[in-house]
Amino acid sequence: MQPITITLDGREVSGYLGMTILELACESGIEIPTLCHDNNLPSTGACRVCLVENEQNGALLASCVTPIASGMIINTHSPRVIERRKTIVKLMLASHPDSCLVCDKGNRCQLRQIASDLGIGLVELQRIPQMASIQEVNPFLERDLSKCILCAKCIRACQELVVEGAIDYFRRGFTTIPATLDNVPLENSECTFCGTCVALCPTGALAEKEKTYRGTTQTVVQTTCPFCGCGCSIRLEAKDGCVVRVTPGRESSVNKGTLCVRGSYGCDFIHSPDRLLKPLIKVNGNFEESSWEKALQLVATQFQRIRDEHGSDSLAVLGSSKCTNEENYLLQRFARAVLGTNNIDNGGRLYTSASRVGLGSSLSFSGTTNYLSDLEQTELILVIGADPDSSAPAVSYAIKRAVKQRGVKLLLIDPRQTKLTLFARLWLRPKVGTDVALINGLAKVIIDEGLLDEEFVARRTDNFGAFGESLKKYTLKYVEEITGVSGQEIRTVAQLYARASRAAIVYGTGITQHITGTDGVKGLANLALLTGNIGRKGGGVYALQRENNGQGACDMGTLPKFLPGYRSVTDAEARKKFEERWGASLPAEAGLTALEIMEQTKKGKIKGMYIVGENPVSSFPNSRLIAEILASLDFLVVQDMFLTETAKVANVVLPAASFAEKDGTFTNFEGRVNKVRKAIEPIAESLPDWEIIMRLADRMNYPLPFSSLQDVMSEIEELVPSYEAYTDSERQDELAYGVRGRTYGSQLLKGFARFSPVEYTPQAEKRKSDYPFTLLTGTILYHFGTGNRSSRAWRLRKFFPQSFLEICESDARKLAIADGEKVKIISPVGEVTTIVKISDTLREGMLFMPISFSETPVNALFDIVLEPETKAPSLKACSVKMEKIPPS
Amino acid sequence: MGKKETVKEVDLTRINAIVSEYSEQKWALIPLLQKIQNEFGYIPPQSIPIIARNLQLFPSQVQGVISFYTQLYTQPRGRKVVRVCRGTACHVRGGKTILKLVKQHLGIEEGETTPDLEYTLETVACIGVCALAPNIVVGDHVHGHMNPKKVEQLFKNRRSRG
Repeated sequence: MQPITITLDGREVSGYLGMTILELACESGIEIPTLCHDNNLPSTGACRVCLVENEQNGALLASCVTPIASGMIINTHSPRVIERRKTIVKLMLASHPDSCLVCDKGNRCQLRQIASDLGIGLVELQRIPQMASIQEVNPFLERDLSKCILCAKCIRACQELVVEGAIDYFRRGFTTIPATLDNVPLENSECTFCGTCVALCPTGALAEKEKTYRGTTQTVVQTTCPFCGCGCSIRLEAKDGCVVRVTPGRESSVNKGTLCVRGSYGCDFIHSPDRLLKPLIKVNGNFEESSWEKALQLVATQFQRIRDEHGSDSLAVLGSSKCTNEENYLLQRFARAVLGTNNIDNGGRLYTSASRVGLGSSLSFSGTTNYLSDLEQTELILVIGADPDSSAPAVSYAIKRAVKQRGVKLLLIDPRQTKLTLFARLWLRPKVGTDVALINGLAKVIIDEGLLDEEFVARRTDNFGAFGESLKKYTLKYVEEITGVSGQEIRTVAQLYARASRAAIVYGTGITQHITGTDGVKGLANLALLTGNIGRKGGGVYALQRENNGQGACDMGTLPKFLPGYRSVTDAEARKKFEERWGASLPAEAGLTALEIMEQTKKGKIKGMYIVGENPVSSFPNSRLIAEILASLDFLVVQDMFLTETAKVANVVLPAASFAEKDGTFTNFEGRVNKVRKAIEPIAESLPDWEIIMRLADRMNYPLPFSSLQDVMSEIEELVPSYEAYTDSERQDELAYGVRGRTYGSQLLKGFARFSPVEYTPQAEKRKSDYPFTLLTGTILYHFGTGNRSSRAWRLRKFFPQSFLEICESDARKLAIADGEKVKIISPVGEVTTIVKISDTLREGMLFMPISFSETPVNALFDIVLEPETKAPSLKACSVKMEKIPPS
Repeated sequence: MGKKETVKEVDLTRINAIVSEYSEQKWALIPLLQKIQNEFGYIPPQSIPIIARNLQLFPSQVQGVISFYTQLYTQPRGRKVVRVCRGTACHVRGGKTILKLVKQHLGIEEGETTPDLEYTLETVACIGVCALAPNIVVGDHVHGHMNPKKVEQLFKNRRSRG
């Protein structure tokens, strides 16, 4: 492309076609003030502060919307420009209150900064105050529209980045304000309190609701959000050892300056009064505070004793998909080299093991195949069994942007109505647990109607014959009977998906947490292979990941069958490499998975356990039984930030530091390795998990040979494929795209992908009449995981204090239950009590409950039923009955 | 907004029918709004989400457009619109008092509609017949040289009810 040269402030600079004056100035190091411009938003030229002068014709141009043209002579700071700029800012200030002293935006206010740069003090113009303050009761943000300058950043962020559309301009002229529908308070509107607009607002019009005045931020650290698997970049602002504010990272290609309510307002848990401050040792049934010295010595002695008395495999370790890669690496090394067992697993087993195994066997690549930014370049998106609006908001934003801004077709398959249904071209509502039949039905239509990508299938895949054979019985009629979805709709979806030149599949726990999870994933991989959507930009399969580091924990080998980098523990050669490096002999037999560990504990085979950052009593099925099993251990050590339900039954509890208090990396669902950076010192005596593991190894006479975290990273870079040079943040994007073995340009990892025939097996509907309802569980936007962190984030807790049970109106009427009444939900293994919320998102016979409330442990309703291939428990749907609790 | 109680039961099927003529055509928002207003005399707020869904806009965006144009209303309008002129000529000839009297007679404030949907009261900046000041316009009819007596004459049926 021919460069375009212009003269900018007397200097010749070159840019490319379509570049604006502002962009070129920014690139050339010339600062032009702006109020309505943001790199993540398309420019509108609303505020006019960025105006510059064209010397040739004297025109004053808004530089953010004026493209460069060859030969332009532009002055950005001529006396005329400065004078006009001053006038514009003065006009804004004339209707802006002089309340800077008490305004929370303080020195972060861009309007104030620009005014002071221009030397504007008190304004001599006649004041036209706008009296528009809005009373809001939400605990997150406050709108003081008397400070609004109508730059529309909030409106554009809401409509174009987050695609929620809660606000737009309202009325005209002097009375214009950004407003919700009917101008109601935000909590009564579509607003999801993602905080994106607050971070963009250049004045104090949008601000966080503060409990107390927090003062000026001293340090800002760019790190990674600790909640879901999206891996959004966040900035932690700290003052006096306290995190005072969280704002979205501006440069990340994952979140593009957005966040969700959890990221923006959920990190309060860092300073929760519930944080563990010292190690605890249980003495006669009560916890007593102890020194690190004493606690670690006790743990080391007990682990050594159990190992000596009962053998290494009587010990088990649970690592965490919430901890960093480095911590998981150290932990598995500790388990294998120090304790001498492969009985190590991580909490990701519950959520994503079906993806790892399913995609692994079909594509030889165990995760999301493409990048999130690709999703906006596709032609069609098929979302199945996922509610990304709650579970992975950044993905949902990308999908909605694709639909709204690029006209991408969205096909949705979900029994429950979600926010995405409003954006979907077509929405299929199969019966719960019939996905495999539906997916096979789609595949059969694609093959029967000749819509498959024959060249791709012939050249890049094998096992097509057997696959085609296996689909024989999945006729439209048969699938319609099973799923309850009309044959015509199935055909249309199959045709739309197959005819799109690029089509992506997005799935979540609605697939993976079912008892047929792995089959569902394989079925989806089959669809992508049939249509040649693997190894294609804009195609691919997106496996949503529940937790921030589910991918990383597995990559690091916190798995019973695999050493770091998925090298089998039974592979002598791989083992040798690690043995040499670690100077210890490693166990050669595959260990137990998380739920098998529980099973063997129950049988008395496992005597001691070390749980790091997991809360199985809440997150595993059949909570009561799991608590009993853990209590029966000889010795249980739990390492966590809080005294979780699991920690309560431990013998020793070790206080861990939060993500804000340590360095490291998280790997997000795309496989991108994101930096975690320390913003504050660990609270009280808590320590980062990696340091605790190192100290414990010391006590067990196997000091891990690392003097710093950097040494751990170096070892990972050396030993774990696809993590080579991952700490080099300069190369982060390139590494994420190149080295991590992405299937781009039809480059499959092992040359061929494999069709895996899957069969639909009806679930035994035992005692259907006793337990007439199908209960679905899932995440809600305002809480996360088992709620350990989100329920301790006071703003989330205040806004969304308690669990609920969603039921459709006709079922509620039949049972004579009204909104807000109390009910007891009973399954064959447990019961919970909660309040009813009548909802139009469900069909008759279906119920929905969120998972994140420890007072209402919905997992207590699930029996332990393991998926045969991954040994992951079924945690998505179960049969229940319901009883109304009369008000007392 | 408020005053919802004056909004009578709205025929949603009729709104759906009008809206479906313009399905997924974003450009059609304003003609569509005009069509609904022609039919109902105003744009029932209940129709905003329906319009938004069909045109693939956000309800807040539709509201933004409606509130921008003075020709579009979200509340029912009276059968007759009374416009009291507040231009300079009318002002110096007592337009302010005329407005006050009209308000008293109709029992409503500026921008409001009588509960029986007979009258809507508005003000205008000038109607261009300053020679007849002070003026008011009722429906399409201009009444010039207004005075308290003429106001009473115009609205005498209202007095007893007020």
